[in-house]
Amino acid sequence: MSLAAIFSRVAGIVITIFVIATINFVLVRAAPGDPAAVIAGQSGATDEKFLAQVRAEYGLDQPYVVQLGAYLGKVATLDLGYSYRLRRPVKDLIAERLGPTLLLTLSAFLISLLGGVVFGALAGVRHGKISDLAISLLALILYATPVFWFGLMLVLLFSIKLEWLPAFGYVDMRAGSFGPFAYALDVLKHLCLPALTLGAIYMAMYARLMRASVIEVAAEDYIKTARAKGLTEGAILRGHMLRNASLPVITFAGLQVGAMIGGAVVVETVFSWPGLGRLIFDAVTSRDYPVLLGLFLVMSILVIAVNLLTDLIHRLVDPRLAVR
Amino acid sequence: MNDSIRTFLRQPSGLLGLAILFLVCLAAALAPILYPGSPWDMVGAPLQPPGTAGSLLGTDTMGRDIASGILHGASVSLMIGIASTIAALAVGVTLGAIAGYAGGMVDRLIVRFIEIFQTIPNFVLAILLVAILTPSISTIILAIGLVSWPPLARLTRVQVQSIAAREFVQAARCQGLGSMSILLRHVIPNAISPIIVTGSMTVASAILIEAALSFMGLGDPNYMSWGYMIGAGRTVIRMAWWASLFPGLAILLTAVAINLIGEALNDALNPRISRS
Amino acid sequence: MKRRGFNKMLLGAGLALPAMSLFRDGVAYAQGAAGGLTAIINPEPPVLVLPINQQIPTGTIGGKIYESLLSYDFELKPQPQLAESWEISEDGLTYTFHLAKKAKWHDGKPFTSADVVFSCNVMLKEVHPRARGVFDRCESITAPDDHTVVFKLKAPFGPFLLAFETSSAPMAPKHIYEGTDYRKNPANDTPIGTGPFKLKEWSRGSHIHLVANEDYYLEGQPVLTEIFYKVVPDGASRSVAMETGEAQLSQFADIEPFDVPRLAAMPNLKMTTKGYEFFSPVLWYELNLRKKPFDDLRFRKAARLLLDPKFIVDKINFGLGKPATGPIASTTKFYDPNVTIYKTDVAAANALLDEMGLKKDANGVRTTIKFLVVPFGEFWTRLAEYFRQAMKQGGIEVVLETTDPGGFAQRVSNWEFDTTSNMLYQNGDPALGVARSYISSNIRKGVMFTNTEGYSNKEVDELFDRAAVLTSDKERAELYSKVQKILVDDLPVLWMTEQQFPTIHDARLENAIDTAIGVNGTFGRARWAS
Repeated sequence: MSLAAIFSRVAGIVITIFVIATINFVLVRAAPGDPAAVIAGQSGATDEKFLAQVRAEYGLDQPYVVQLGAYLGKVATLDLGYSYRLRRPVKDLIAERLGPTLLLTLSAFLISLLGGVVFGALAGVRHGKISDLAISLLALILYATPVFWFGLMLVLLFSIKLEWLPAFGYVDMRAGSFGPFAYALDVLKHLCLPALTLGAIYMAMYARLMRASVIEVAAEDYIKTARAKGLTEGAILRGHMLRNASLPVITFAGLQVGAMIGGAVVVETVFSWPGLGRLIFDAVTSRDYPVLLGLFLVMSILVIAVNLLTDLIHRLVDPRLAVR
Repeated sequence: MNDSIRTFLRQPSGLLGLAILFLVCLAAALAPILYPGSPWDMVGAPLQPPGTAGSLLGTDTMGRDIASGILHGASVSLMIGIASTIAALAVGVTLGAIAGYAGGMVDRLIVRFIEIFQTIPNFVLAILLVAILTPSISTIILAIGLVSWPPLARLTRVQVQSIAAREFVQAARCQGLGSMSILLRHVIPNAISPIIVTGSMTVASAILIEAALSFMGLGDPNYMSWGYMIGAGRTVIRMAWWASLFPGLAILLTAVAINLIGEALNDALNPRISRS
Repeated sequence: MKRRGFNKMLLGAGLALPAMSLFRDGVAYAQGAAGGLTAIINPEPPVLVLPINQQIPTGTIGGKIYESLLSYDFELKPQPQLAESWEISEDGLTYTFHLAKKAKWHDGKPFTSADVVFSCNVMLKEVHPRARGVFDRCESITAPDDHTVVFKLKAPFGPFLLAFETSSAPMAPKHIYEGTDYRKNPANDTPIGTGPFKLKEWSRGSHIHLVANEDYYLEGQPVLTEIFYKVVPDGASRSVAMETGEAQLSQFADIEPFDVPRLAAMPNLKMTTKGYEFFSPVLWYELNLRKKPFDDLRFRKAARLLLDPKFIVDKINFGLGKPATGPIASTTKFYDPNVTIYKTDVAAANALLDEMGLKKDANGVRTTIKFLVVPFGEFWTRLAEYFRQAMKQGGIEVVLETTDPGGFAQRVSNWEFDTTSNMLYQNGDPALGVARSYISSNIRKGVMFTNTEGYSNKEVDELFDRAAVLTSDKERAELYSKVQKILVDDLPVLWMTEQQFPTIHDARLENAIDTAIGVNGTFGRARWAS
């Protein structure tokens, strides 16, 4: 990449972040509902004096333009503001929720990509056979399944009927007294169902894509050449097809991360997973403006970061791109 | 066109999709006849298992009939799915066509705009929009439409770009036709088939988004919807699995049917890119 | 036998683990009367300083750290707390409190009358609206010596002694707050109270750890060595935590109504609805009386006849609570059951609506009204759905409107609604928690929990006003009986149920619930059965 290209890329990202910040701000401030009344409502008793105090304390009595200017200035300095509902800096709130969400999304991403590539390749290679049909059908159904419902059904089966895995939460309440190994194991146990839920739907998507990709690659000349050279099917698959066929899948998967974070909101609700998704839902229902604004920004930045990463991986896997 | 219909009808999966969708539409149409009351009516004791006390699929926490809810919910889901897809098409095709045909600065601006919208996690944006505009049928349609248009815009842009470069469009230009009429009369009709395919799939994803919104309590409280039923059944899943299982199956079947139809359409309309 | 042995082994391993662990905040299991308690808290309180925040979870945890002058038994009779004894003058204008001499703040400074004067006369008036309402009635609050405080009222106020409940008037340390910005004081992170428990650690999003206050002024208290309040935001997880013994106490609405019967039936758990007498919430449907047709008494009667409080108790609350007969809860002092009783009667309701001239159209609809759904969870959604179905039987079509908490508070307090539901605490006395919803002087636009329905009746105003300034319970009871009869006939709101909260706790936990504020009490006497 040339210096100019890098510069234009970075400039693009910065502009995008500021545009998103502005959109978010305008959207959220256009909302009905007086945040001062929310706090007051939660305090159990109210009067005008108290409402005025709250408004002054959080700058809610300033004109919108002033609020927006102040907000953008803060965004530039990575100051995400202060949650009046939880009485804590938004940065801290997001920071402590970021881990669980990244863990969930990353696990789901790996599950979906690995599963998708493997099952898709299998179906593609066995094109037209019964295993292809089974995988394709399953993928079709999974792809059309509502995420939250799939999660509930997993809970019904694995937690309530079979009692194998915990249905809710991130870690056992007593985990504070666990050793580090037991703690990790406990988190892993809690992670199984949510990660599978979030991953399965995308796995279906990638499997379909991988299958089509494998079938397409199989028809390419260099595969025919390889076959003519007498290479075994397994060697062809490993040496040529997998790499070329999985490229579009990886690119596509990278672009899906935004949607995946969105899906995490629902999954975290179903499984009471203490991540950004739950935080965003709580913030929306309680009109916690600073948290909402901060979350949107962070989630969008996450998506941008992952897109960049995908791009990088793409270049690694496909050297032809690096030359360009 | 006749060829396309024939190709479509030759595909068993497309026919299966049509058959399921027909059943769903039938359910929506028959709901007022089979279950003349409102699906909100408390017809029996709460949490009755399927098959007992005159309820085919059981009752929920308030003694409402699950079967009645599913039938009445069918029309709501279909309506929201189709309406929000139309909204998404309106925005997506317009922006995509302008970008693809105009090119240059306008194109770059629109592409940047699309990119920004694709960067925001779209379900989160939908939640935010519905929550801010307060949940109702129209705000839900608007929100789903607003988060579903970017892929349609991208597709339209690429299609329009490639069609606009073709000879017959150049010819029309030479004849001195206005941009607007070239776009409407020559470019869009030739670019439309993949857009129709993607649009039909958008209906399925719109139904899924609506269900997820309702599940999270952001549905219109005056319309019985499948997502709402799953959300209301979630808390009692330990005692009454039927309250969340059946509505979920309904969503699943509808979405599968629409996707099957979309794929068959794809094969029929775009024989070049059809799967081998 | 084999299985039991294995379980024992597991338990042994579980108990052995904390010793090896880096973290010392393990759950303490019951060992004799002392030992630790793990309780649930939800939602996580924003701050623990009770004087500046009175949300329910703040009250629950803050109630262990902070105290007021009095506590109350289940009949709401005042009992000593920071005040050992008290006298009231003949004219009901002067209240003299004698303070506990050994009481100390958690930082070791003595608790004195100066703290009381500062709290009631200065700080609470600034940061605590409900306390301001009461202490503004005082002519003066003075401290003749270190352990005596004298409140002089401008006019007699019947329920004055009920104003000293912990959340209503928590004592704040003068030496920390005087002259500072109360809400921004850095000391708010390390609350200093006089209560039997001190804050040890607050791990945000996870738990709040309280430990016994060794210097507590009451002999033999506290018995428990520590209390963990674990933050569990999810309803289903809270049930599981109680079921498995991960947590040993839950309160208020922690456990979803449908899970209560199941947990209550478990042999290792106990359920009680005692300990909420001070709050005694009453639930009602509220109609905006400024609008037609709600201004017509016949319409309100019809609506009341279409509703069945038993349905709410049985189907929505899964058996918790009981039908309310009027504005005052039967768990408080001045309740009078001899009022008009409304029985569900669809035919009579329709007759009333016919009489009003509200004709049914071709679809059987007389009129369409809106209902603003309370955005605080499923219970409220179910209430709205029930209202809609009940009204339908009278040909009244109800359209539900949803909103967020901010929008809800704003619309109700600015009177921009047709109908909604509401639940208010009675705070121990009709003058403190009931009158506010019905007297016309409390119709205050923009303020929540006032007379938002817009009811105005001179006679009712007068009765409430007179009853508030009387000091004899007998005279007050007469006036409140009268006002209850008038209100029930006039239906300013449609009272449905006296809500009950379930406190679920480990069957071995004793003496935790011993006052009218139950789980919000000090827990000084709480202990494990040996």
